[in-house]
Amino acid sequence: MNSMNNIERVKEIVEKVAKVRKFEQIDKFQIAFEIEKNDVHQTLSALKLAGWKQLSYLSAIDWIETSKFELVYVLFNWDEALYIQIRAMIEREAAEMNSIISIFPGAKYYEREAHEFFGINFPGNPDYHKQLILENWDDIPPLRKDFDPSVYSDRKFPKREYSVDYSVKDPENKSFEKIKEREKRALSLRTGGQKK
Amino acid sequence: MKEMKLFLGPQHPGMHGNASVHMFVDGDIIKRSYLLPGMLYRGFEKQMERKLWVNNIALIPRVCVPEPDINEMAFASGAEKLLKLEIPERAHWIRMIILEFARISAHLMAYGGLGGPTGNYTLMYHAHADRNNILDIFEKITGARVYHQYIVIGGVRQDLPKGIEKDMHTFLDSLESRLKEYRDLGIDNASIIKRIKDTIMLPAEVVWELGVTGIGMRSAVNKAYDIRKVAPYARYDQVEFEVPVSDYSDARSRLDIKIKEVQQSINIIRQCLEKMPEGPVRVKPARGQSMRWTVPKGHVYSMVESSRGEFGYYMVSNGGTHPYRVGVRGASYPQGLLGIEKYLPGTRIDDAALWVDTMGICSPEIDR
Repeated sequence: MNSMNNIERVKEIVEKVAKVRKFEQIDKFQIAFEIEKNDVHQTLSALKLAGWKQLSYLSAIDWIETSKFELVYVLFNWDEALYIQIRAMIEREAAEMNSIISIFPGAKYYEREAHEFFGINFPGNPDYHKQLILENWDDIPPLRKDFDPSVYSDRKFPKREYSVDYSVKDPENKSFEKIKEREKRALSLRTGGQKK
Repeated sequence: MKEMKLFLGPQHPGMHGNASVHMFVDGDIIKRSYLLPGMLYRGFEKQMERKLWVNNIALIPRVCVPEPDINEMAFASGAEKLLKLEIPERAHWIRMIILEFARISAHLMAYGGLGGPTGNYTLMYHAHADRNNILDIFEKITGARVYHQYIVIGGVRQDLPKGIEKDMHTFLDSLESRLKEYRDLGIDNASIIKRIKDTIMLPAEVVWELGVTGIGMRSAVNKAYDIRKVAPYARYDQVEFEVPVSDYSDARSRLDIKIKEVQQSINIIRQCLEKMPEGPVRVKPARGQSMRWTVPKGHVYSMVESSRGEFGYYMVSNGGTHPYRVGVRGASYPQGLLGIEKYLPGTRIDDAALWVDTMGICSPEIDR
């Protein structure tokens, strides 16, 4: 099982090949490194040689305020029982990251998915631009923070017209105030509004 | 012969969920193939960013339909790691009982799924009848049969009802006595043994190349690579159980491991019922207005051993009332997409459904 020595060993391996911006121990079985974009490939191959043979997860996070994407690679070593997160920031405009399929062939479809949902290009991956899950998508990639699903659905699917209107519009009606209040409350919850 | 295109799915008894395998065949041998996902895409990862931490509990069980509880566990334990929250001791044990029942039910469904492609429907009916008994127990505990929303951040929703232990013991005894029957109907059945023995191989190199986990991995590399043993969560370090392994991974040995794991899960539940302490089952996760509490900043990858392998949630919080990003690592992602593209070719058309079934592919978790 893993001990402090083990984590020290991983730190040494990573520090030898990459400039570590931040180290973090999340719990007994998990540590994280924030490194530079250009060091990712060396770090991953060094860790693979050291026994972290399994790529568990690859994805991206959209930090729209600083205009960056954060790429996350999660590796696991079954013998040492230690998860390692490798995180690197890339630019949000014309986002691009060299593919890692030469190190972990299993990353192929994770990269395709990241391309589809974030619009990150992965040169080196032969199929990254092909469509995978979304069919004939015609908007910005949907997991970006500036994509609004309700706006998209309003544009894509026109509002249905009903022949009979059952909503209460008469201010004389007893429940008019109550209904307005409820609608307001529902709207504020839907838009993530704060408490009054 | 001219190459021809055939489809397995989206509606097919050998396909668990709606996904389509496109196969280019020459005679009855598959030459090229790929999976076309997307028929079950519901945009969960985006929706989760727009809902409160608590509200997401209603959404996440839908990520994997046959085995919903692992989602709740991965999400809740991830959020607890970010919150640095200690949950009550009894809640850990109740969670284990729920998770092991979910594992048995998923294994029974997958094992019974062998009946579809081999035409051995008796097995499927038996397995579903036993699964139905598990759903009855779930209904008594949680009020729901399939989507329980029972494991929540801070423990479990409510305590076990009175007298449920008796129901559990009755069910476990009856299932245990019938495991031999399951073997005789399925993997030891002379009428289908040729279909499953020495076919649909999964060598160890392929396991490492694709990143297959779970039964596929353990049946090939002969090591007890199970997250419950390697990096235990809940109280799996306090119960005794074995992890069945093998060094020769054909369809039969993987199914054999499934039945052995059902036996181990039965043992775990019995130990849980014995060792479970009394006490509260839920704590309030954080201070704040009833449901609009916040979770501290951080990244966490939270993982659970599902019936198909390592199931993980990558969760990011920016300190707000909503998750900033939730990414789902479905256990069948590697074998379902890259596996079908690279290693399904070479098999016969009639074995394709068996391939998909015994590799443990669940399309809702590929799509999300």
